[in-house]
Amino acid sequence: MSHHPVQPNWPARIGIAVAALAAPVFAIALAVTIGEMRIPLATAFQALGNGLFDLGYPVSAIQQGVIFDYRLSRALLAGLCGGALALSGAILQALLRNPLAEPYILGISAGASTGAVAVMILGFGGAALTVSGGAFLGSVAALLIVALLAAGAGGASDRVILAGVAGSQLFNAATATIVTTLASAEQARGVMFWLLGNFGGVRWPDVFVATPVALAGFAICMLHAKALDAFAFGADAAASLGVAVTRVRVVLFAVTAVMTATMVSIVGTIGFVGLVIPHAARFLVGPGHARLLPVCLVIGAIFMILADILSRILVPQQILPIGVVTALVGAPAFAIILYRARRPA
Amino acid sequence: MTLSARDVFWGTSGRMIVDGVTLEAAPGKILGLIGPNGSGKSSLLRLLCRLRNVSSGVVELDGRDIGQVSRRELARRLAFVEQQATTEIQLCVCDVVRLGRTPHRSALASWSAADEQAVDAALARVGMSERHDQLWHTLSGGERQRVHIARALAQTPSELILDEPTNHLDIQHQLSILTLVRRLGVTCIVALHDLNLAALFCDEIALLHEGRLVASGTPETVLTEETIRRVFGVAVRIGATASGRRHIEYLVDPDCYGEAAP
Repeated sequence: MSHHPVQPNWPARIGIAVAALAAPVFAIALAVTIGEMRIPLATAFQALGNGLFDLGYPVSAIQQGVIFDYRLSRALLAGLCGGALALSGAILQALLRNPLAEPYILGISAGASTGAVAVMILGFGGAALTVSGGAFLGSVAALLIVALLAAGAGGASDRVILAGVAGSQLFNAATATIVTTLASAEQARGVMFWLLGNFGGVRWPDVFVATPVALAGFAICMLHAKALDAFAFGADAAASLGVAVTRVRVVLFAVTAVMTATMVSIVGTIGFVGLVIPHAARFLVGPGHARLLPVCLVIGAIFMILADILSRILVPQQILPIGVVTALVGAPAFAIILYRARRPA
Repeated sequence: MTLSARDVFWGTSGRMIVDGVTLEAAPGKILGLIGPNGSGKSSLLRLLCRLRNVSSGVVELDGRDIGQVSRRELARRLAFVEQQATTEIQLCVCDVVRLGRTPHRSALASWSAADEQAVDAALARVGMSERHDQLWHTLSGGERQRVHIARALAQTPSELILDEPTNHLDIQHQLSILTLVRRLGVTCIVALHDLNLAALFCDEIALLHEGRLVASGTPETVLTEETIRRVFGVAVRIGATASGRRHIEYLVDPDCYGEAAP
């Protein structure tokens, strides 16, 4: 919301838009070409050409599979996931007027983990329900319980947050109970890995689900950018500025919940991105949501793609859980941003 | 006729907070809302700008039930200044005033020259043009209130509702804020705690007690020794200021000054 020129500077805007689109593409190119299996750059691009446009370059089936089906789908999903989580965090921080708000504050991750564990260990749903499906159902269940609690408590921001805490604790307890009483050591390890986030099993169908969710979510959020600005001084102030507070809240809580639940059910709970990227983006472009939301989407996407590359190469022969990398890399990076943007006391 | 309330009731958790109030703001005049703590002043103001919906009765703007007016349309006519509203977000003065243009802009509209003019004019009217780019959290209480009023003015309202705008301000800023409000020439309904400030700045006064309207009219008719004793439970002597306005002197027990006092 910093000083808007009355005449928009179109060349500058177009330049920024091109750069904003090029940066994630570059990150994806990095993600596709870096990995344990050494594949020459030229071969990598030929494989992409084959996969995307059916160009028929002579690339071995293994290399084609690694580049196109494994690395590209994984990088795209990482980008969508990072962007959607950062966007959700920015929205919830504005709606709840709380800098610590993040996508999992409404119990979505806790519910997802209970749902995932119910499928992995209890065999819930039999063959019909995948771990992702279970996680999605769990997150929806948790969200509904939290929404009921919050509405029953009056719906004020602090009540919503407390309801989220209560719901999260409940579902975390359920998860812990199932894991400690029923899981084998092997299963417990699998659950642990899932909880920390994992892009390993990602394939194209996941991308085809996540893409419309993230893009539609982004479009709806952008339509509410001005309304979100009006929440700066609270819900009453927003209402007196003509914002339909209840409708905006319901729509945006629902949109962030669907985006978050979708991402969590595909890749598990990846922390840090949804909390910190919005703050980093605010330091860059200020608090106005018309700029903040697209910037969150782009930075979140780039951050997650790069974090995924690191998770694959930091420890040779092993893949670190992505949630560990986002926090390991993100925390010091954020500390630097905080330090550089400190207010004069 | 502009903004009026007819037989307005509103309650929460089984308690009536606003209990059958009827009042009307005269165009271009300042209507002061006074009353003891918990008398329903803030609640009534929130009903008048539809931040809460009346349980029964009707609030009308130019004869139209505001319950039937869209929130956005209402916000172009009616602006509300809360007491002490603040934010943790790093905004500068112009960002806050720009929020006042929200009801005038559609979801995809970009910032227009008319918007910019409204913001500049609003800042000029509250004397904060020089502070255009200053950060919100570096402003004093009085300056913040001025910026809130500028934000409200950027809505280009014909009616302005202010909830204790002078709360927590020192006397210089209390006087300067209310002087500013008087000069706006907009229909104002303002809740005030200080009876002398109400007498000094309001054209009419409505006195609330336990959710009911107990007196309304000019300061001379409402601010009487008997009414103030009955509603506020304090003894007063009514005098006059040099400008002919009512002045309320509070009479306290002389013993409280102790033996040493004259």
